[in-house]
Amino acid sequence: MSGLPAAVNLRELRDRIASCSHDVLYHHFCETTLVPSFDYPDYRDDFAVWAKKQLGDDVLAERLGMIDPYSYYSLEELRAAALEVIDEHLSELPMIPWARRGHEFHFMEATTVIFDTGKRITHPDQLISAVKSMTQGSIYFHFLEARRRTLHRNDDFSVWLQDWGDEWLRYIMAMKRIDFAFNTLAELRDEIVGVLEGKEKNLWIAH
Amino acid sequence: MDRSLTAYEEIVGTPVIEQLRQIGDRLRGVRVVHVNSTKEGGGVAEILWWMVPLMQDLGLDAHWKVIKGTNDFFSITKSIHNGLQGNSVVLTKKDWESYVDVNIQNLSTLKELLEEADIVVIHDPQPAPLLQLCPNRRGKWIWRLHIDISCPFRPLWKTLRTFGEKYDASIFSIPQFAQFLPHPQFIIAPSIDPLSEKNMELDQREIEKVREEVKLDPDRPIIVQISRFDRFKDPVGVIQAYRLVRKVIPVQLVLAGGGATDDPEGHAFLEEVMEAAEDDPDIHVLSLPPDVHKTVNALQRMADIVIQKSTREGFGLTVTEGLWKGKPVIGGDVGGIKLQVVNHYTGFLVNTPEGAAHRIRFLLHHQARMQEMGRMAKEYVRQNFLLTRHLRDYLLLILCLMRKTSEYRIFV
Repeated sequence: MSGLPAAVNLRELRDRIASCSHDVLYHHFCETTLVPSFDYPDYRDDFAVWAKKQLGDDVLAERLGMIDPYSYYSLEELRAAALEVIDEHLSELPMIPWARRGHEFHFMEATTVIFDTGKRITHPDQLISAVKSMTQGSIYFHFLEARRRTLHRNDDFSVWLQDWGDEWLRYIMAMKRIDFAFNTLAELRDEIVGVLEGKEKNLWIAH
Repeated sequence: MDRSLTAYEEIVGTPVIEQLRQIGDRLRGVRVVHVNSTKEGGGVAEILWWMVPLMQDLGLDAHWKVIKGTNDFFSITKSIHNGLQGNSVVLTKKDWESYVDVNIQNLSTLKELLEEADIVVIHDPQPAPLLQLCPNRRGKWIWRLHIDISCPFRPLWKTLRTFGEKYDASIFSIPQFAQFLPHPQFIIAPSIDPLSEKNMELDQREIEKVREEVKLDPDRPIIVQISRFDRFKDPVGVIQAYRLVRKVIPVQLVLAGGGATDDPEGHAFLEEVMEAAEDDPDIHVLSLPPDVHKTVNALQRMADIVIQKSTREGFGLTVTEGLWKGKPVIGGDVGGIKLQVVNHYTGFLVNTPEGAAHRIRFLLHHQARMQEMGRMAKEYVRQNFLLTRHLRDYLLLILCLMRKTSEYRIFV
């Protein structure tokens, strides 16, 4: 938990987003996919999900849901974008929407524990089987969390493949095109494997 | 439990087990002591039955200790439990003193182990005073509250909180339960053991045997609620829902549960439930001993619908169990049930006996939908609510606490 009081209405949500730490912001925009859930939410950030489910505000949910957190170069820019959407929406509303008791927005932050699994691959051909055998946490770390720490907001697989010459470029581009906003981590793994297996099939056809 | 982690590999996959072993390697030899107030009955004991041996399997020096209490003590702690779940209960100064006294009495056998431990996990309010009784403790102490304390009775919480404030961290099942405490609070959802007698695959003959023992008609639908006989589980509300359904569909109802040694109200409430059942031959009220896990398993598997119509609930492991058996669950719109039951996906959330009756009828009339929901439910449990995820969360929390850092990323 972040230590911030829960937000019970949209105004409080706005004020907490304005003042919360980067880790809180990052958690609610980017780590939703890691949180255990039986649900298959319409949106992949917690603010949009809360707006839809608890405030019953579909318009706000749609607008917040379309914010791509990975497209901003800093979390301050992401914060500004979220506040812009909420402020504009607040200016349109005759009444502030409230959540029912027990359905408040609780602000959380996460600690990432990173350790070396001891596994190594020495050639891109081994990447498919490596990705297939990764835990969902590793998929998250190398494909999504990587965008927070790499210079060009790239995933680790693409960064690594860049060193293996032009023949891998098309697969780097294909990975860039993965629309992961709607994927669970298991689905994301399947899609990455699909891209890499697609390479093998294409090469076979080319021969 | 004598199973090792390897036994779960087929269910959760090799990478998950490998990851646990890698984390375990970094915690080898760390002494972890869990303390609660009952060895059997209830979700906490069930979790500790598997968690402690699996921590040992990973190389941790894990222990489980159960405090002993008098009937008076358990009446007081039951009142605390009820107060934390919102009932207005008044405890006298003498009650609070008795509460602490029983913990002092337990100290003679526990003190050395607790003060030497690297990590102590105190489960629920019963053993909470132990921390202040161990001034020479050297490890980190975690208060793990399993119950729904989203709206506690404030005067009671105000006093109880003084026992929890000095802990190094606390754990709640869902964010809604977290109360302000002056230390880091973590969210860890509970889980089930897919290979335990309660959740393992069963031979159809075993299921039929239980059906015969309970005298259930194989040709009519069965609704099952498994839970302790506790007012917050609302078995009387389930009987009301059953009666509404019976007007149109000849369903059978099974209300089955045992008692926990730390719950002195169970027997009296069971009599209330029997009275509400009015000798209806299609209402089967079963007071089960705590070790008949296969019977519970069979009842859940033969059910058409699993119900858990609680009015307050910590997490609701019986919901997870039902979902794991591929059953849609109709659950009360409270506590951890809200996390597990998603309308039209894994079951339905309801607030009243009328709501439960409505959803029972809906599901019984939509068999294909019911099967699809059951399939989806099982997969979500596999991914999120099996013991391997639960164990990993505990190990990571221990790593974080032992690293003494507030950084958002820890390299180990």
